[in-house]
Amino acid sequence: MTHSGKMSRWTWLMAMVALLAIFAVACSGDDDDDSSSAGFTDAGYKTAGLDKARVVTIDGDIPIGISSALTGEVAGLGIPIADSAEVGGEGITIKGKKIKWVREDDLCSPEGGPAAADRLVKANVVAAIGPICSGGTRASLKIFDDAGITHISPSATAGDLTTPTRPEGPYVTFFRVPVLNADEAKAQAQFAYDTLKAKKAFVVFDTDDYGKDLAAEFQKSFKAEGGEIVGTPAGYEKKTTDFKSIIANIKAAKPDVIYQAGFYAEATPFLQQLRADADLKSIPYIGGDGIKNDELLSGAKDAAEGAYLALPGTTGSQFDTYKQKYAAKFKGNADSATFGAEAYDAATAILKALDKVAVEKGGKLEIDLKKLNEEIKKSSFEGASGKVEFQDNGNRAGAVVRLFKVVGGKYVQLEAGKK
Amino acid sequence: MTVIFLTSAEFWADQLVNGLTTGSIYALIALGYTMVYGVLQLINFAHGEVFMIGSFAGYGVLVAMGGDDTSGAMIALALVLAMIAASAASMGTALAIERIAYRPLRNAPRLAPLISAIGVSVFLSHLVDDGFLTGRSKYYPSIFPDGALELGPLTISALQIFLMGSSLAMMGGLWWVIQRTKLGRGIRAVAESRDNASLMGIDVNRAIVVTFALGAIMAGVAGVLYGLFYSAIRGSMGFIPGVKAFTAAVLGGIGSVQGAVIGGYFLGLTETVGRELLNEIPGVSLPNQWKDVVAFSLLVLVLIFRPNGIFGQKETKRA
Repeated sequence: MTHSGKMSRWTWLMAMVALLAIFAVACSGDDDDDSSSAGFTDAGYKTAGLDKARVVTIDGDIPIGISSALTGEVAGLGIPIADSAEVGGEGITIKGKKIKWVREDDLCSPEGGPAAADRLVKANVVAAIGPICSGGTRASLKIFDDAGITHISPSATAGDLTTPTRPEGPYVTFFRVPVLNADEAKAQAQFAYDTLKAKKAFVVFDTDDYGKDLAAEFQKSFKAEGGEIVGTPAGYEKKTTDFKSIIANIKAAKPDVIYQAGFYAEATPFLQQLRADADLKSIPYIGGDGIKNDELLSGAKDAAEGAYLALPGTTGSQFDTYKQKYAAKFKGNADSATFGAEAYDAATAILKALDKVAVEKGGKLEIDLKKLNEEIKKSSFEGASGKVEFQDNGNRAGAVVRLFKVVGGKYVQLEAGKK
Repeated sequence: MTVIFLTSAEFWADQLVNGLTTGSIYALIALGYTMVYGVLQLINFAHGEVFMIGSFAGYGVLVAMGGDDTSGAMIALALVLAMIAASAASMGTALAIERIAYRPLRNAPRLAPLISAIGVSVFLSHLVDDGFLTGRSKYYPSIFPDGALELGPLTISALQIFLMGSSLAMMGGLWWVIQRTKLGRGIRAVAESRDNASLMGIDVNRAIVVTFALGAIMAGVAGVLYGLFYSAIRGSMGFIPGVKAFTAAVLGGIGSVQGAVIGGYFLGLTETVGRELLNEIPGVSLPNQWKDVVAFSLLVLVLIFRPNGIFGQKETKRA
């Protein structure tokens, strides 16, 4: 018995070694073409969207959904977004009916997104703003589409959420306001190469959809500029606090610049540990939009000094109106509400379309959800984040990216071509 | 055979020190798991949260003592007080958990207190995260003086020396209590056989309470060291180090005190150095995300050949 026990252990070991070898081979063959294979996953899915879209009759206030991160690590981003969306409906009535906002917490996660979408569908919303993050959005697309409900994300930036095959392809019920990761990464790669004169970059990223996409886009753009990615791009999971091992890799790779795609909750300890290393005290650091948050400044303090961050989008002619309403209703500061202007514009797009589509019948409102979708697609107005128009595939038309630098504990916007 | 490393000696020295630092923290936490298992055969899954509470108590003291502006001799005083407060808070939490969630279940089937432990763990981490912090993190003030010791390619920061030194001192103290005092003898007796110990006049409840308290003191100190080193603390911070420390305890042989220490360092090192070593094989390039895959594969390997862990003894017949 003992003998055969030993034998089976050895058999196990052999099996595991074989398995690991297969993995290693599979991994080393896996080059950079990840980005091309990361295409749309539900290609076989035929959109139900507009066929299912029905005419709804509203008696009381008009329910509109907001799916955002209201608790958890990303609430610092999510609550201002939800508030800003509500501000978009401040003082607006549709044919005499008021708006009833239905908020659901999507936790910025692939699990939370569909749960929030289900609750919004059950609440009979006529349209929705959100979900807030790319992972949650991807998991929710089908739910909204099956219900024929059009939703506009103010902040989901992963490239492959929309497909080039639209409008024939799936999910015609999805639109989004933000400038995409690809555009942001390109602007940051150009800044790193042309303005900072960096030739070698090290990439650190959150392993969620947003982080992976932004990191891949940055690598693509930086290489296209003529730069080199040194070392192996290092992924980390949310809630990671120990970055020492990654930092040892950074030191060994000797980059000219460090690029991070992720969120402020992890960027804060990363920057603190990075700047605690004597050799990396002053190496240029560039972070994506998920990191540009006031909590980074209050958390990382001196370690955030000199960091370069980006915000996709710009401030449009309606920004001041939005800013005043936001301050009046929620005591918030619109300047630090990342994607707040986009959320305000998403709400505006829905409300403008509703106003055109809603028909009054005997004191009730009839809303054709299919017409609402088509009207949202035709949106064209000056919003808080610039001119709002949608492309055929649901993405925003036009792309402006703003760059910032932390100077004296504050975000200062950079002029083009300046450090 | 000569081994040619693709990366520099400095790199390996850095990763070695990083591994030992992480390992020190795992070892301190693992002690709590292994001791409680020794006396109760209970996996105290809430131990990660005991560590978290200690970290927050230490944070409170450091902020109250002046936060980032603390200087000179006050730093030493603040650190000592933070560790005392952390130990006290962790101890209070652990004892409350023992009294409320475990003692009423002491004679229940073994799975019942395990589920109760998981419940306490989830409750505490969400209470702090969602109840008090609404999902935000707190950041330890960076008061520890800069400076580093250089030995050839090896650079160890003052904070790392402090961290490793204090964890070794704590472990030494614990060893002394367990091996050299009457209290420790009681714990060892209860671990060997609760019934026999009770017949010999040992207060079993007292020995169990002391076990929880000692484990919690280690966790509390680990919480402060963790905060000083990694800076970000939050309600959910105990989960991953808790799981890793539990793993370290199993790896070393659960129930064994020296096993927990060795297991902690072993896991800390394999986690940081294991993946890097594999990357030295031509054609292999495992990104950072793979470090846990490598560490846990190794764990499975160790357990295949030593199912009771490195220092584990064959499960004896326990009534």
